[in-house]
Amino acid sequence: MSEDRGERRPRPRGGRRPRRKVCSFCVDKIEYIDYKDINRLRRFVNERGKILPRRMSGNCAKHQRQLSEAIKRARAIALMPYTVD
Amino acid sequence: MNRYEMIYIIDTGLEETARKELIEKVSALIAANGGEIEKVDETWGKRRLAYAINYKTEGWYVLVNFKAPAELPRELERNLQINENVLRYLVVKLEEKRSGVKPRAARPAPVAEEAAAPAEEAAPAEEAAPVEEAAAPAEEAAPAEAE
Repeated sequence: MSEDRGERRPRPRGGRRPRRKVCSFCVDKIEYIDYKDINRLRRFVNERGKILPRRMSGNCAKHQRQLSEAIKRARAIALMPYTVD
Repeated sequence: MNRYEMIYIIDTGLEETARKELIEKVSALIAANGGEIEKVDETWGKRRLAYAINYKTEGWYVLVNFKAPAELPRELERNLQINENVLRYLVVKLEEKRSGVKPRAARPAPVAEEAAAPAEEAAPAEEAAPVEEAAAPAEEAAPAEAE
């Protein structure tokens, strides 16, 4: 299935093929994303502190949900910023 | 009884004895309401806050793990809300399944299937593979020629 999808999409002229991203939490076999683990969470926000969308982070749906929850908890107790400006 | 994890931030303006007292008071509150403290962790200690809370840029982080009946967090949060020296608090319920065995058990099965599959499908796979490979270079070649 995933192979089919990759081939059907017309490749942008001169651009490189969009590499299939894999969920880094699945790779690391993480069952529970800890909101205290800010070093890990920090990779999934942009420089303004916004949560990266799935299409950029490459996370699977399950882990993206957990991740957004974890980031929001981390924000609530001032471990991560709501906004950076 | 559920397992909970709580983090609260104490004002760093509070001197050490008063801080110890406050931590003690919170622990006593949990114990008094039928809770059971597993761990009080101050290893984070003084930390820079990601954003200012009441114009303060630093806070003393305390992490508490405890078991408690479901009514306790509400009472606990009420008390922390009242206390001026607590800048922030967060009580999180820890899901049992996360520390359990259930999710792991499902994983080995697909691996075994995959290992068996190539042996059975060796012939059809070989037939299918060249076709795909033939298609891919053609695609790659086309844009190059166009440019």
